[in-house]
Amino acid sequence: MAINIRDKGAEIWERSPKPARVAIASLTMIFAICLPFFGGTFLNTPISSYEAVLVYPVGLFVLMALGLNIVVGKSGLLDLGYVAFFAIGAYTMAILGTTTSLNFWEIMPIGIGLAMISGVILGLPTLRLRGDYLAIVTLGFGEIVRIVALNTMAIGGPNGIANIPTPPKFLSLEYTLQNQKAYYWTVLALIFLVIWMIRRLSTRRPGRAWESIRQDEDVADLMGVRTLKYKIWAFAIGAAIGGAGGVVFAAKSMFVAPEMFTLNTSILILACVVFGGMGNIWGVITGAIILAYLPERIRFISDARLLIFGLTLVVMMNLRADGILPRKKREKSLTS
Amino acid sequence: MKKVIELKGVTMQFGGVTALNDVNLHVNEGEILALIGPNGAGKTTVFNVITGVYKPTKGDIVFNEELSVVGKKRWQITEAGIARTFQNVRLFGEMTALENVITAGDVRSKSGFVGSLFGLPRSRREEKANREKAMELLKFLGIDHVAHKLGKNLPYGDQRRLEIARALGTQPKLLLLDEPAAGFNPSEKVALAETIKKIRDAGYTILLIEHDMSLIMGISDRVAVLDFGTKIADDSPQVVQNDARVIEAYLGVPADAS
Amino acid sequence: MDFSVLVDQFFALTIDGIALGFIYSLIALGYTMVYGVLRLINFANSEVFMLGTFATIITSKNIFGYADDTEPLTGMKLVYTLLACMLVSMLVCAITGVLVEIVAYRRLRKTGSNRLTTLISAIGVSIVISETVRILTSSAPANNPRLLDKIYLVSYAGTEFYIGSVRIPVSAFEVRLDTLLVIIFAILLLFAVDRFVKNTRLGKGIRAVSMSEQNSQLMGVNLNKVISSTFFIAGLMTGAAAFFYTTVYESTKFNVGFELGLAAFTAAVLGGIGNIRGAFFGGIALGILEIYAATVFGTQWKAVTAFVVLVLVLLFKPNGLFGESLQQARV
Repeated sequence: MAINIRDKGAEIWERSPKPARVAIASLTMIFAICLPFFGGTFLNTPISSYEAVLVYPVGLFVLMALGLNIVVGKSGLLDLGYVAFFAIGAYTMAILGTTTSLNFWEIMPIGIGLAMISGVILGLPTLRLRGDYLAIVTLGFGEIVRIVALNTMAIGGPNGIANIPTPPKFLSLEYTLQNQKAYYWTVLALIFLVIWMIRRLSTRRPGRAWESIRQDEDVADLMGVRTLKYKIWAFAIGAAIGGAGGVVFAAKSMFVAPEMFTLNTSILILACVVFGGMGNIWGVITGAIILAYLPERIRFISDARLLIFGLTLVVMMNLRADGILPRKKREKSLTS
Repeated sequence: MKKVIELKGVTMQFGGVTALNDVNLHVNEGEILALIGPNGAGKTTVFNVITGVYKPTKGDIVFNEELSVVGKKRWQITEAGIARTFQNVRLFGEMTALENVITAGDVRSKSGFVGSLFGLPRSRREEKANREKAMELLKFLGIDHVAHKLGKNLPYGDQRRLEIARALGTQPKLLLLDEPAAGFNPSEKVALAETIKKIRDAGYTILLIEHDMSLIMGISDRVAVLDFGTKIADDSPQVVQNDARVIEAYLGVPADAS
Repeated sequence: MDFSVLVDQFFALTIDGIALGFIYSLIALGYTMVYGVLRLINFANSEVFMLGTFATIITSKNIFGYADDTEPLTGMKLVYTLLACMLVSMLVCAITGVLVEIVAYRRLRKTGSNRLTTLISAIGVSIVISETVRILTSSAPANNPRLLDKIYLVSYAGTEFYIGSVRIPVSAFEVRLDTLLVIIFAILLLFAVDRFVKNTRLGKGIRAVSMSEQNSQLMGVNLNKVISSTFFIAGLMTGAAAFFYTTVYESTKFNVGFELGLAAFTAAVLGGIGNIRGAFFGGIALGILEIYAATVFGTQWKAVTAFVVLVLVLLFKPNGLFGESLQQARV
């Protein structure tokens, strides 16, 4: 395609003076914050509640796509079991929420921590493997987590865990089933945090390490890049983000079961990253929004949703492997 | 004179193939040692065992007379002070020239993941210093005018020089250059020879693989010759040039007595 | 964890394991041969297998007109019906395999895409095929009429005797006709492929390409032809496996490919990916291991067995039992 949308956007951004940049960023953030109020417009989704859809799948897919992007898009590590971290976060919320008196905010760091530890445990032995094999092993990990959850009666087995408490009132915001705005803004806050974190890391040593690993790992090794260390960090951060999403998901759905965390979800998130533009934050966000929102809006394709994702993967890889908003082609800096 | 790198009885076997056979080789501090030999003689294998890509079947490799690099991880070897370029240009093509060098310079940074994330003072200081040093290196190699161009978009000559700049970015003591003049025309080769001498004069020790004899004879202090994995000569350029075994290895017939 | 059943039924279970193992070996060939020439994990192979199982059922039900409650056949009718089902399954899988290569991988190969891209395309194809079948079958299982009766050729119930107070069990032992046929035919097919790759010109071309794509082209090998042939043969083997599976287990569903594909892939890695003889050993080993594990731990953990074996092999012996190493740096 002759016009690189992302570069055009980046050009406009670079040319704008600081006040203009602050204005653009603020406007975008305000627009995102106000999204729940557009429920009565053409954006409305026919069957599910619009606000609920904004939280899941749209908001949480965006969050998870950003997390997976660090692993797959930036570092070039194919993780096919990403849903496992989401599940670990969700089950942490479910178990601790129903058996202890800890609330959502107290459980969140625990969920993130457990997901991160799992990411490190998974990564240590497997990140020495070459690409294809890493893919299979991570796929296996995702499935093992689901099968263990399915067969362990202590955490509900196939019936899962119900009656997960909703988060307590935050300032004057109530988290209810009818009014999902508070959940949405929580997810949005997480998304803003993750974006900040990624942009921070990208222009510094970790970002450079990830890029060099993706582009030519053998040479990166020989240039002194601590490849194993940074690959594990990529896994850990990705897992942390997935885990955070899982905690919110469980609190919002108030019920978790193994069938909610299947391989399909891992592939759906991967499709968001691939479709949007691997390595590129804005592409990934756009991809996730489109792929999560459209099936809800255009219901007849909902049953064929996975089929369409499969087609998306094949078509995108063959025609436009860089995604709809490709990674930078122009010389944008990896240094601040 | 200190031996910056010494190969002691290094043998490298791949299955049934013996790539290096009991090789004893050393490079003195501040020297330019050229490693030559017919194709397949094992020259790049020497680079690969020094940098930790392969582990020698037998023998030891000692850096700076104190550190054995055998069995060490590759990044540890680079951190110790050994850097290299590659026979086929292997830049980080989707990074700019400057970023390539800065990435190499990261090996000298002490700040970790957390420091980078929260912008701690030490991390910011190191970033700034790294960037400035990288820019200097680009100037030193004469490619600062393309600092912000992507590696894959650079002309061939600049790519080769960027590879050298990147290797220097790791602040090595020993620089391994693998056929740096490949694909250059005669005037480019002359410029490269000057550059290599400049690098040596700046305090680096250089081990160089090359095929161009006039380039080698012009700048090398010593020349070592490999043939089928065995070192067959190791002396000053003039002596090696006239060594009968060397001539035989290259031409395959005994040199004429007269 | 229950070892008593394993001990009492040891021989019977081992035979079951071997038969299952041969099915895995044939499917494993699909992965290993493609990996050998393309260095690509052919994700779509599991769905090709699934299509073969449906092809078998469609042949026996729609083409021959048998129904679920048909009496088992005998004599020549049995032989040619079964052969027809097998051939149809093999052809369907072979042709699908070749088509998948052309649609999903060829273009990427030509433009020199990296492995991540090709792998994702492979996953995409796999999803498209399984989802299409899911939608067409509404997730319902399909049953194969019992054309080949489950006849026990040998059936020994096992016994036990006591030395003092120590119980010494003698395992049950039984050989079913269909299991035996699977083993015999699988051996024949594996042998045929082995001979083919060793002795024919095309077979040598396949081996040449798996050793060095560039050099084999320089030696005059037609790369596209070799690659298409590899997918064709891989499909034939997978199709045979699909036929055997459907005959023995008598039912299939749109998602049958996933677990079996994963197990077969594990078998390929266990034997050494890219190594055809390795696929044979890997399959048998895994088949037996899975049956034992299912007996001791319970069938719900069967899928986990394959994964655990896979992870252990990749961590400790990435070459597999016979194959190449996946970890060489390329400098």
